[in-house]
Formats: sequence, structure tokens, C-alpha cells
Amino acid sequence: MEALLQGMSVALSPGTVAAIAAGVVAGLVFSAIPGLTFSVALALVMPFTFGMEPIPAMALLLGVYSGGMTGGAVSAILLGIPGTPSAAATVLDGHPMARKGDASFALGASVIASAFGGLFSLVVMMLLLEQVAEVALRFGPAEIFALVLFGLSTICGLADRSLIRGLIAGVLGLMVMVIGLDELDGVGRLTFGSVQLQQGVNMLVALIALFAVPQVISTFVDHGRVERPVIAERVRAVFPWRRVFGHWWLLLRSSVIGTVIGAIPGTGGPIASFLAYDHARRFSRRPADFGTGTLEGVVAPEAANNAVMGGALIPVLSLGIPGDPATAIILGGLLVHGLQPGPLLFQTRLDVIYALYMVIAVSWVIILFIQLAGIRVFVRVLRVPPHVLGVCILVLCGIGSYVIRNSIFDVYLMAVVGVLGYALQRMRIPLAPVVLGLVLGPTLEQQYRTALILSEGSHQIFFESGVAMAFFALTLLTIGWQVWSSLRASVTSKPGVA
Amino acid sequence: MKSAVDRWLGPSLTVLALVWLWLVYAYIPGARFEGEPGPRAFPVLLGVVLAGLGVVMSLQALMSVGRERSADATPVLTGREAWLAIGTFGLLILYAFLLDKIGFIVATPVVIATAMYGLAQVRRWVLIGSLAIGITLGCWVIFDALLGTPLPSGSWVVWP
Repeated sequence: MEALLQGMSVALSPGTVAAIAAGVVAGLVFSAIPGLTFSVALALVMPFTFGMEPIPAMALLLGVYSGGMTGGAVSAILLGIPGTPSAAATVLDGHPMARKGDASFALGASVIASAFGGLFSLVVMMLLLEQVAEVALRFGPAEIFALVLFGLSTICGLADRSLIRGLIAGVLGLMVMVIGLDELDGVGRLTFGSVQLQQGVNMLVALIALFAVPQVISTFVDHGRVERPVIAERVRAVFPWRRVFGHWWLLLRSSVIGTVIGAIPGTGGPIASFLAYDHARRFSRRPADFGTGTLEGVVAPEAANNAVMGGALIPVLSLGIPGDPATAIILGGLLVHGLQPGPLLFQTRLDVIYALYMVIAVSWVIILFIQLAGIRVFVRVLRVPPHVLGVCILVLCGIGSYVIRNSIFDVYLMAVVGVLGYALQRMRIPLAPVVLGLVLGPTLEQQYRTALILSEGSHQIFFESGVAMAFFALTLLTIGWQVWSSLRASVTSKPGVA
Repeated sequence: MKSAVDRWLGPSLTVLALVWLWLVYAYIPGARFEGEPGPRAFPVLLGVVLAGLGVVMSLQALMSVGRERSADATPVLTGREAWLAIGTFGLLILYAFLLDKIGFIVATPVVIATAMYGLAQVRRWVLIGSLAIGITLGCWVIFDALLGTPLPSGSWVVWP
């Protein structure tokens, strides 16, 4: 009890709260601007913490982390460009909502769902830290491969009306991510001697290209030809608490998906958000509405990708194992300030643990207020005529692609991938499965090969694991269900068949 | 959805897959140890799957000849759409080139003005000028001045 009070008093001191707020703002800004990620913000903020006390220092870093997890949705909803890879699934329904005049509603819903997911994972972290860490540690390469394969099976759900087109799109996405230096063997793959190609196609560059460039071209095509409805923003819907919590069961399930996936090192937000999106679509009463701007399509991925935060911090705090670059920097912050993560930290510095929990809770409250207050400002961007906004997005695509790695080559790459994306779209090949392939491809291949290296080439490793087998079964079930649904739909759509 | 597009898209994808497989075998080394999937295994698998999907799509299209719906006859791209797509692509390539050679501060207003005039078909010069300057300055302030992310200064330009 004494430790709890001590932790709370440090976490709620004005200096710590100010550090959280500063971190939240930095995280929000970095993740809302395409091309900048909150991992970059964390790295940039880290030197500022050197002269600070441990708790305010961690408050600054955790503020950036939690702010960064939510900010990606702002550009995803307003511009159709995911600010972070985790927000890619949010574009699918968030941006159509904005185009229908419900941008503020979508932004409000995304913030509420994000805060719910973040706070849910915090509670799980506080209550079940040991148990979740234990389960997460059972995930070796074979289990992660099976999980990612299951994630990839959601292509079936993202394939619009044609399963074969969805599969083609997924394979094309996977192909793009093959290009570059092979991480396991260190050999260049289809780099043709180019140094720039050795670094591969950056995921964020590809996401900017695939989401933004086709949209920009469409605005130019529609300009003067299609009379666009004036976007009458329904600002009254900025606080859609009731509508969002009307989906409380979906919020809860998506948060569980996010927390569990976050706890597994090597996975992360993009996988969690796509799995939650597909889960929401699959169990929705109106699955056909997904992709046209449905609330569930925003709530599910946002709750999941923010719940990843608490999940990802479980192995960091309990075992000192970071799952992604962001948690690696958080771990670095803990070590710099003399806080060695692990079971000993829970025994000797319980006050620090409680303070960190409190910092995360406060950060979500601050995010909620900042984001909800900012929505009225953010949505003003939609008052700009679409063709003029298109020019602004075009320039932002160029700058965003450049600043990721300070590479002009990435701007060229963005142009090529973007126009290919437009061509695919015109050939009715859905882009969402391409994105899924891009996001999951590297992990899928890496974990598969690592598993086989560990087993000295024997595929038995996949069949010996109960967890892996369960995911394989789920994958088969998902594909089988989709094939059956497609066949049933094609039979009933034939003339003369009721 | 079996459409007229599939009749050429299916074979095209199969050809693309075959070219991919040729490139993979020509440029990516195989496994170092027997029984271990090397860097070539996954790309080969993808090529084979894409070729298979291309064949399935072609067969589906062949089987549905004469049964296309009117919506399937819509052209993939009209002439105007193609020109705007090419224009956008060209402008992005030009932007990359200009960023490299003359830097962000000069390249960005040039590209914005060109996009506004050529692609967005805006003829109000005040709007074009203010947007070109405003976006350039805004981006420079956010990225360079505030966030400390260096923007390209151009290899042809010697700044004082």
C-alpha cells in the first residue's frame, strides 16, 4: 500500500504530468504526419530524459509511446494515409467515413476506442502480467509463423467480392517485401547490384504509395467531372460515446486481440489491427458494409492497435524482452535510469511499477482530452476542395517518403508503387490484401525459416506445437468458410436460383 | 467476378510470375545447407502461387465467355484517366529528381504550381502562388525547423 501511494504521488506530481503531456503531444504529432513514426519521436526524445529523474523521464517516453499509438489514425481518417503502419486497417473504413461527412465522428470514435484499448491492456498488464508473460514466452518461431499465417488468411475477408483477386493481391504484396537484403543469410534479393534496393521497400513508403497516390489520381480524375457532395461535417458527433460503447463487446474482443498479440515479441500493431478488423467484419451483422465507412471498421482496429501497448510492455517489464523498436527504446530508457526490468524490479521497486502504471493511465486521459479537443481543428482540412487537397497530399507523399530514411530513392519508389497501386485498383484488384502482404510478409518468412533452422530442416516443429496447430486449424477454417461463402454466393446469384 | 479484364489479366499475371521465377533463379542463391529453406525458397513459392492464380483466373475467364455482365465491359482506364495517372506519376518522378538536384525549398513550389495548373486545372494564380509558398514554408517549419528532420538541400545548389 505504501508503495502504491508513493508511486501515485510521483506519477501525479505536476512535473511528471507535464512530461506525460509533452510526450503525448510529440507522439501525436509524429504519428499523425505521414513519414514520421513515433519510434523516431522516442529516439529523438530519449536524450532529453538523461538529465531527468527516472519517473518523469519514463513518463515522457511512455507519453510519446501512447500518443504515437493513437495519432496515426488522424491522417488515416482525414487523408487516407496511415500515419503509422498500425493505422493501415483504420483507413479501410475511417477514410470512407470522412468522405461521407463523418470525419469528426470517425476521429472521435477512434480516440475513444483507442483509449479503451489502451486502458484495457493496462488493466490486463496490472492483473495478469506474470501469466501473460508466461504464455507469450511459449511463442517461438513456429507459433509466430502459424499466428502470422492465420493473420494472412484474413486476406479472404479483405478480398471484396473475388477471392482469387484477393489472393493475387496478397501474393503481390508479399513479393514486394521480398526485394532487398535477406535478413537471415545477408544476401541481396532482386537488388540487381543497387545499393538503394538492398535496404528493401520500406513498409511505410509502400503504405503511403498504395493508400495516397491512387486517391490523389482519383481526385484529379473526378475534378470537374463528378459533382462531389459538400462534406457537411456533423460536429455534434465529436463525442460519440454511446455509439462506440454500443459496440462494447467488439471493443472488448478487439482489445483482447491487441493485448495478446502485443505481448508476443516480433508481432505488433499492424497484425493486431488487421486481425481485429477481419474479426469485426466476420462477426458483424452487416459484413457487406465494411470498406464503405462503418463504425465497427474503425473501432475494432483502433482498440486492438492501442491495446498492443500494454501487451507489448508486459515482456519488457517482466522479462526485459522488447518486441519492436518502440519497446526497445522504452527498455533503453529504463536501463539508462537504472531500472533493470525483470522479476527483481517487481520485488524491490514496486513503487516504480505502480508509478509507471499510473503514468500510462494518465497518458490515456490526456490523449482523450487533447484528441477530442483537437477534432474540430483537424476536420477543417476537409473544407479544402478535393483537387487542391490532392495537390497537398501529393507533396506530402514526396516529403513523407523522403524523411523516413532520408532517401530520394524512396520518393522514386513511392511514385512507382503508387502508380502500380492505381493500376491494380483499376483492374479491380483490392489494395487491402496487398497491404496485408506487405505488413505480414517479412515476419511470415523470417519466422518460418528460423523455425526450420532450429529444427534442422524438419517441418515436424510446426506439428509438435499445440498452439501452432490451433492457428493452422483456424487458418483452414477461415479459408474454408470463405470458399464456401463464395460458392454459395455464386450459386444464389445465378438467374433462376432463389 | 469474371470479366473481360480477366481474359488478359490472368495470362499477364502468369507471364509476370514466370519472369519473376526466372529472375529469382538467376539472381538469388539457394540454400547453404541441405534441408534448410534458403533465401530463394519463399520467392519461388510466391512465383509458383502467382502463376497458379493467373492460370485459374484465365480459365475462369475462358469459361465465362459470352456471360459477362454489362458492368464488366467498362474499360479499365479511359484516355483522360490514363493521362492523369501518367501525369501524376511523371510529376512525382520530377519531384524526386528536383528534390535531389535543387532541394526542397525550390523544388516544392515548382511541383505544387505544376500540379495545380496541370493536374488540378486551377487557373487562379493567386491561389497557386499562395499555396506553393504556404505549403513549402509550412512543411519546412514543421519538418526542418521544429522537428529537426533535414530536408534535401540539392546537389546543384550551393547555399551560402
